[in-house]
Amino acid sequence: MAQLDPLIHAPARLQVVTTLSAVSEAEFATLRAALGVSDSVLSKHISALADAGYVRSRKGVQAGRRTTWIGLTSAGREALREHVAALRRLIDMVD
Amino acid sequence: MESNSVHQDPDDPRSVLAAADQARQRLAAGLRLPAGLHPALAAAVAVQLGTAAYGIATHTAAGLAVAMAGVAVFLGVAVLTLRQFRRVNGVRVDGLASQVILGTGATSTLAYVGAFGAATWAAFESRWWLVGAAAVAGGAGYAFAVLRWWHAYRHDPARHAGGASPRMLAALSVLACLGLVALLAAG
Repeated sequence: MAQLDPLIHAPARLQVVTTLSAVSEAEFATLRAALGVSDSVLSKHISALADAGYVRSRKGVQAGRRTTWIGLTSAGREALREHVAALRRLIDMVD
Repeated sequence: MESNSVHQDPDDPRSVLAAADQARQRLAAGLRLPAGLHPALAAAVAVQLGTAAYGIATHTAAGLAVAMAGVAVFLGVAVLTLRQFRRVNGVRVDGLASQVILGTGATSTLAYVGAFGAATWAAFESRWWLVGAAAVAGGAGYAFAVLRWWHAYRHDPARHAGGASPRMLAALSVLACLGLVALLAAG
């Protein structure tokens, strides 16, 4: 049975992972704008998620400037799927 | 997070999920297809279909060259389009790349295969106007399928975001070129 994942249980981190599930890779600035957070806050979340193997990041060049691209790993997608399933089960229990 | 319009109670799983879904929809809603993608893709597919039909029917070195030029035109337009999408939006969506380059949807496959068959038959019959008509119809159908996929993606981005990776697409493109050459040589 799917369990709640403590690493993405915090709402802000769940938003990062959920937003990344819409794309294969997102530029750091694009993700920051979509989430409406500061560079430092997003960097902390990405570092924690990368350490757990949930996201991968790589350096790239976008319109002549250096950027960081971030994408969910397959482990990250699976963790999100299981966490959302566990949350939905909680909602069903309450209902 | 700061910009959420959904009232978020961290202890309420329903509001937590709603806020996360809203963040994902906000990203997807902000994405834009490059201007002129559909006519450019339709034209590129039409050129590729028409040149392939000509190459197969004529079965000459010149025909092979024309068919390969058609493939190059298609791949050039597809790659430029996808690069522009990534540059404009700051994201990469493999599902879109798969739709544009491979035509993985049922509609695009049907449009392409149907048009390819009709154009090839017409080329063997030397009915060149019909080759052109089939190629244009195939291109339009293919572009329409990409548009349909785009609407589905905007509705449910997580479900449609996945697709073949850029490396896989490159490998499949090479295989497709080799397959076309084999088809021309055998024909």
